[in-house]
Amino acid sequence: MSDDPDKVWPTGLTEKEAEEVHSYLIDGTRVFGLIALIAHALVAVSTPWLG
Amino acid sequence: MASLKEIALRRISRIGPRYLPFADVASAELPLNRLLRLSLFQVTVGMALVLLVGTLNRVMIVELSVPATLVGVMISLPLLFAPFRALIGHKSDTHRSALGWRRVPYIWKGTMLQFGGFAIMPFALLVLSGYGEAVDAPLWIGYSSAALAFLLVGAGVHMVQTVGLALATDLVPVEEQPKVVGLMYVMLLLGMIASAIIFGALLSNYTPGRLIQVVQGAAVVTVALNILALWKQESRDRARAAALTPQPEFREAWALFVRGKGAMGLLIVIGLGTMGFGMADVLLEPYGGHVLGLSVAMTTRLTAVLAAGGLIGFAVASKVLLNGADPLRVAWWGALAGLPAFGLIVLSAPLQMPETFVLGTLIAGFGAGLFGHGTLTATMRSAPREQVGLALGAWGAVQATAAGIAVALGGIIRDLITTLPGAESFRPEAPYTPVFVIEFVLLAFALLAILVLRRTQTRTSPPETYRQRQDRPNQPAAPSAL
Repeated sequence: MSDDPDKVWPTGLTEKEAEEVHSYLIDGTRVFGLIALIAHALVAVSTPWLG
Repeated sequence: MASLKEIALRRISRIGPRYLPFADVASAELPLNRLLRLSLFQVTVGMALVLLVGTLNRVMIVELSVPATLVGVMISLPLLFAPFRALIGHKSDTHRSALGWRRVPYIWKGTMLQFGGFAIMPFALLVLSGYGEAVDAPLWIGYSSAALAFLLVGAGVHMVQTVGLALATDLVPVEEQPKVVGLMYVMLLLGMIASAIIFGALLSNYTPGRLIQVVQGAAVVTVALNILALWKQESRDRARAAALTPQPEFREAWALFVRGKGAMGLLIVIGLGTMGFGMADVLLEPYGGHVLGLSVAMTTRLTAVLAAGGLIGFAVASKVLLNGADPLRVAWWGALAGLPAFGLIVLSAPLQMPETFVLGTLIAGFGAGLFGHGTLTATMRSAPREQVGLALGAWGAVQATAAGIAVALGGIIRDLITTLPGAESFRPEAPYTPVFVIEFVLLAFALLAILVLRRTQTRTSPPETYRQRQDRPNQPAAPSAL
């Protein structure tokens, strides 16, 4: 199935390429998590839902 | 289990590449629908601009009763990022990626910034205005979170537009660039018009909940459109990824760019012309209302007239440039059209002729369209392929800064004149006429700068891109032809 020992199947990306794609996923999760945290904190300031 | 896994893997491997965001190997001919899809990022840029400068500006002042000065400061915060466009463009030029991508990572990062800013913006604004329990919250929370939201959206817009335009330039051959520029401008304008209408309709019955829905809806639409825009646009480039050539630092790249023929001159022209056309943007409506006595419905239509003029300008510029005209010459005609336009606008007050004013507005839009198209096309051609991002970043930095300063300056001059002692005895057009006269003068200087620029360009060796067209007989040889 594979002609290049570096390539990871099933996508046909090399290991480095796959790691880069993965890094976008990780960064995205971190950024969106941080944004969600800030948004929740701001909502809590205007309409507190805990006590 | 093992066989199931094998079957699944085989299935995935068959469909895999179709669902990955890479373009096929760059084809010589770029289909129009792919270009149209790419230009969707300009729709999100237009939407963000309308939301910040138009919709939220009004909502903050009228519905949330935030002080106007604070609103002004918040809205101008994104301008702080405009000069960094050159740096962003350069970074995308020299980006090192295992995939060989240069533009997509930056468009994606910009999209995330835009989304993040919109996601927290409605809550930040509600806290800023002291909604609910936020009255008792310390003031700095509202200030800092609103500033953060505006900064995030601004940074995202600058990033997406700069790198998106660079990607569009990468994808098409030089002769096709005028088409792309026209398409990008038209999509920006359409995005602004459509989102202004939609936001206006959605927020006509304002509630805090509705504000949250609208702004966060804009965030989702931004991400969706931008992903759609950049899906399968940039191809993987193994050669670029493997190349180990040392990439120049920003300082070196900038020095090289500025040494290029007429690069600085072109930036000066863009700054002068953008200020010349931009100062009256927010003054046309109050001018029509206060001085010429037009109704609110009539003055809102002025924006449509200005946009229609712009669309005609883009269309004409695209047509002429595709036939091989010099982009600087097109920009020259655009700035020239601005002179009678502002002359008509100034004259309409003493003559009390609204028709003259509307005609002037239409011509001003037309001139701005020609000028914007001509200078952006000239920018795309002024840099070698490796520096396209830097050149477009410099264009965006100058253009956005000049437009922001122009709008602010126009408002400040008007307000200063109305607060002068004895201002009550002035004619109603007195606060506005000086602004229009300054625009006239700025455009005259822009015309002069283009003449000087063209003279230096014809004296030194003609650029590569123009050399290809020298077989065309209609190519002007010298600025004397103007």
